[in-house]
Amino acid sequence: MNHADGGTPAPGIRVVIVDDHAIFRSGLRADLDPSIVVAGEAGTVDEAIAVIAAVRPDVVLLDVHLPGGLGGGGREVLAGSVPLLGSTRFLALSVSDAAEDVVAVIRAGARGYVTKTISGAEISDAVRRVAGGDAVFSPRLAGFVLDAFGTAPADIAGDELDRLSARELEVMRLIARGYSYKEVAKELFISIKTVETHVSAVLRKLQLSSRHELTRWAAERRLL
Amino acid sequence: MTTAPARLPLVRGSDRVIAGVCAGLADHLGWPVRMVRTGMVVAALAGGAGVAFYAWLWIMVPTADERAKHNAHNARRPASRIAPDAATREPRSEVPAAEPRRNRFVGMRYGKEILLGAGLLLAAGILIARLLGLDVPLGTLIPVAAILGGAAIAWMQLDETRRAGLVDKAKADQAGGWTRLAAGLALVVAGVLVMVSGSGSWEQTWLALLSSVAVLGGVALVLLPWGLKFWRDLETERAGRVRATERAEIAAHLHDSVLQTLALIQRRAGHEHDVVRLARAQERELRGWLYRDPGKEAGQLSEGIKAAAAEVEDAVGQAVEVVSVGDCAMTERHEALVQAAREAMLNAARHGGGAVAVYVEVTGGAAEVFVKDRGPGFEPESVPVDRLGVRESIIGRMNRHGGTAAIISSQDGTEVRLRLPVSAGTTAGTAADNGEVKL
Repeated sequence: MNHADGGTPAPGIRVVIVDDHAIFRSGLRADLDPSIVVAGEAGTVDEAIAVIAAVRPDVVLLDVHLPGGLGGGGREVLAGSVPLLGSTRFLALSVSDAAEDVVAVIRAGARGYVTKTISGAEISDAVRRVAGGDAVFSPRLAGFVLDAFGTAPADIAGDELDRLSARELEVMRLIARGYSYKEVAKELFISIKTVETHVSAVLRKLQLSSRHELTRWAAERRLL
Repeated sequence: MTTAPARLPLVRGSDRVIAGVCAGLADHLGWPVRMVRTGMVVAALAGGAGVAFYAWLWIMVPTADERAKHNAHNARRPASRIAPDAATREPRSEVPAAEPRRNRFVGMRYGKEILLGAGLLLAAGILIARLLGLDVPLGTLIPVAAILGGAAIAWMQLDETRRAGLVDKAKADQAGGWTRLAAGLALVVAGVLVMVSGSGSWEQTWLALLSSVAVLGGVALVLLPWGLKFWRDLETERAGRVRATERAEIAAHLHDSVLQTLALIQRRAGHEHDVVRLARAQERELRGWLYRDPGKEAGQLSEGIKAAAAEVEDAVGQAVEVVSVGDCAMTERHEALVQAAREAMLNAARHGGGAVAVYVEVTGGAAEVFVKDRGPGFEPESVPVDRLGVRESIIGRMNRHGGTAAIISSQDGTEVRLRLPVSAGTTAGTAADNGEVKL
């Protein structure tokens, strides 16, 4: 990997911004890198599903809380775009810290989650990373993952989906501490590509695990 | 009811013998209570006028609590301070709500005892009179006593129901209340029946009972739909009122916090530093209000760290993001950990010149705090000995409480790692290895 911090560079990544606040959409549009092309915008669930199906973007920047539809917000947009999940990647954006919101969109198929307060450079980086097929974890999402899966590493091969390996735990801990992928790689003496592999594996576990503790953890936070 | 402006409202007072009517009247008229009571007794002896007047006032005049509740409700209905005169229109008695309630229970108990004593005295008097050979018309006295007793029981129940408020009544209380109401009603009905049938034969009594039950049943059948409709309307109105109250509370909160902050931000639009600080503080406050977890007990380590982060944000005006995994109750040693973390955050926010990331993890063995910034970094060894910040407040403090502190700094930023084992000294060695490995 000779590109410093951004995953695969894909000039002209086409994105759709889905957010119900026009001010936020225009602000985000202005903040994004010139290499990222905003191909469409939507403000409600129904609009979003229609626009995404018509435009078929590389990445959808998806607000977790959206009006319209059946009231399911970002999760409903994901459910409505299931046929596209192979080619279009979703990056969840939220002002909410609530675990249920975040984990719900991740489990519905989003490839990452970032808070709306992050800078334009960071969000452009996250878009490039998601477009390249990687997962994007904010420190807070990493915290949620550690909270949900527990901080003890997996010892038996059988519960592979239900626990994080020792290496994955280390990566999650460092991300929760505010490390970038590059810094994680340096700290653990591994390549950025390996870090990305670990993060993608964690994302897969978060999406697929039926681990009872995850269920209980989620239930305590009133989701599922 | 005369309504001179300076006069207290006519409410049933807390100082009561039976139902607080006399006390309330005395307060309202500005006369001594004793005089009102004497007058009432005299009026009662004059053909029972006082009794009727008393009963009428008992029914019509609300208690101080009810009035206060009513006023509070009226005052709250306008969502903001648009119509502030609603609360001041009626001069309110300044009694705190809990105080009279307790007093009234006391008064009520004594009232019951006095009534019981009076009843027993009366019975004794009648017995003595009979022994002395006086002809007491027991045939009419007993039913009358039954009616009066039943009515008293039922009315006391009514009063209690009103006192507790229809909403917040405990179920157990309710069951007892219904029993008492039923007992009172049965007594009254029996008394009336015996009186009407002229204490005659059982057959006559049964007949009267049957016919009266039939009549009552018919009336109930006719009135039931009305009653149900009325009840439902009442329920709907109450639900609406609850919603309105909730709305008013949210509106009041937003007004006091968000709108004020937005106004401040507009006025300080030129000062970027102030705007960021105001916005962060408001965001934190609003998040705390929206996502607060009522089940979570206070005094947890993560709460302490978050409070310290908030302090630093306010002081320096730099965002401090806290992520926490696991939690534990605060002890004195955790207090030291929070203080050390606070110092580290302060340094990071001051010298890092960017957002500060804080990670708290509590596992079975230890509590760890990591504070990271992306500043230019510094050499821990090059810090002068007299600088207390790092040496004393962070490293020294952690060591004194059986923990460890490590500072890892490079040109990409600085990270302070704090670790506090569960029991002092047990895992300190491994912690030190863990922390110092990158220095």
